[in-house]
Amino acid sequence: MTEDAWVPLALSSMIEVGTSAGAVVQGQEIVVWRDSSGVAHTWEDRCPHRGMKMSFGFVRGDHIACLYHGWEYDQAGQCRYIPAHPQLEVPKTICVKTWAVAEAAGMIWVALGAVPPPPAEAEVTALRSLYLDAPLAAVLAALPEGFGGTLAGQVPLVTLDTDLGTLRIGVQPIDARRTALHLTVAGPATPDTLLALATRSDAFRLSLETAGAAA
Amino acid sequence: MTAPILYNYDLDENCYRVRLVASCLGVALTLHGIDMYPGREHLGAAMRALNPAGRLPVLQDGDLLLTQTEAILMHLAEAHAPTTPLLPQDAATRARMMDWLAFCARDLGVAAQARTCAMLDAPGDAQALRASARACLRLMEDHMVKQGIRGCGFFAGPAATLADLALFPAFALSRDFNVDHDEFPALRLWARRVRRLPGFITMPGIPDYH
Ligand code: FES
Repeated sequence: MTEDAWVPLALSSMIEVGTSAGAVVQGQEIVVWRDSSGVAHTWEDRCPHRGMKMSFGFVRGDHIACLYHGWEYDQAGQCRYIPAHPQLEVPKTICVKTWAVAEAAGMIWVALGAVPPPPAEAEVTALRSLYLDAPLAAVLAALPEGFGGTLAGQVPLVTLDTDLGTLRIGVQPIDARRTALHLTVAGPATPDTLLALATRSDAFRLSLETAGAAA
Repeated sequence: MTAPILYNYDLDENCYRVRLVASCLGVALTLHGIDMYPGREHLGAAMRALNPAGRLPVLQDGDLLLTQTEAILMHLAEAHAPTTPLLPQDAATRARMMDWLAFCARDLGVAAQARTCAMLDAPGDAQALRASARACLRLMEDHMVKQGIRGCGFFAGPAATLADLALFPAFALSRDFNVDHDEFPALRLWARRVRRLPGFITMPGIPDYH
């Protein structure tokens, strides 16, 4: 399902300008980072030099630098600077694999295969990302009762109608055992509503994982 | 006034907590290096005379001898920087700070154990320690999600306290015991705020980005 689809990796608000983070989609390790002009990037999470995770590195202006030996890459993934050889014109062949990225409806999305039309825009309020030790199918099956609401829509974007409002949930299958849900609320939401939903999300994770451990 | 003496090992995360807080408070320490690994000097007779439990950190401040990290942090602030904003004056914020300092002392010890077990071959069940440490980080993440909704950037309120500095090392060092930061977006943003506090310093294993 992720072959030719947009997959959400993070809530937009959680990747601030000048920061990076790691994310995994069906075993594929991805670095998501935001450059100084606010543009998000989704690349393979591997430095071409010695394979260090780029997500351990740090953003410097419009470059991201590897933590290990400081090689710096520009927004296209091209290596631009090697601290051990500051005078060197870096060969064009040294570049990180990049994937298409989109930002819509409060989330950052990656396309690992052919690039589909952009994900739909929506007015949302970010709630949280929830990381679950449970496979995708188990998470979806548990949502209506575990969280309380009516589930609709298709992975990677489902909606859950609850008594506290409609959740728009970006679904990120991490691997066979783990799933991330990027939770947003459709439209505006008060802090009290968001706090109640956050508390419910803690409880949902606990019940889901406890049930999984007992199974 | 002579500077308090910290019996210190650079790679020990509790010693780092003390150095970090002292630096953010602007309090000078005299560091007395202890060869914990491989020398095991903290278990020798001289150090046992100071702390029979055979643990670091140990702080000697005049006649006062302290051996518990959180007590050392409180003492440095109260005795040497009483007007610091890191020590909130209102009762509720201070109580929340104490709550998280106690979490640090009581629950988060598993993170330090997971790390020494993974890195220094200290005894312990690496998998179980890792799982317990991850559970602690999840509690911290859940709390910071809610703090974010309340418009508060730190554990006890809108401003940093000793609790944030005490909690920071466990998250910053979690990759040492194979818990990545992927799952903790709220803690990532919080850690970035902590890094920007005046006086912030790192330790080996915590990269200095600037
Ligand atoms: S591994 Fe990235 S610079 Fe060496």
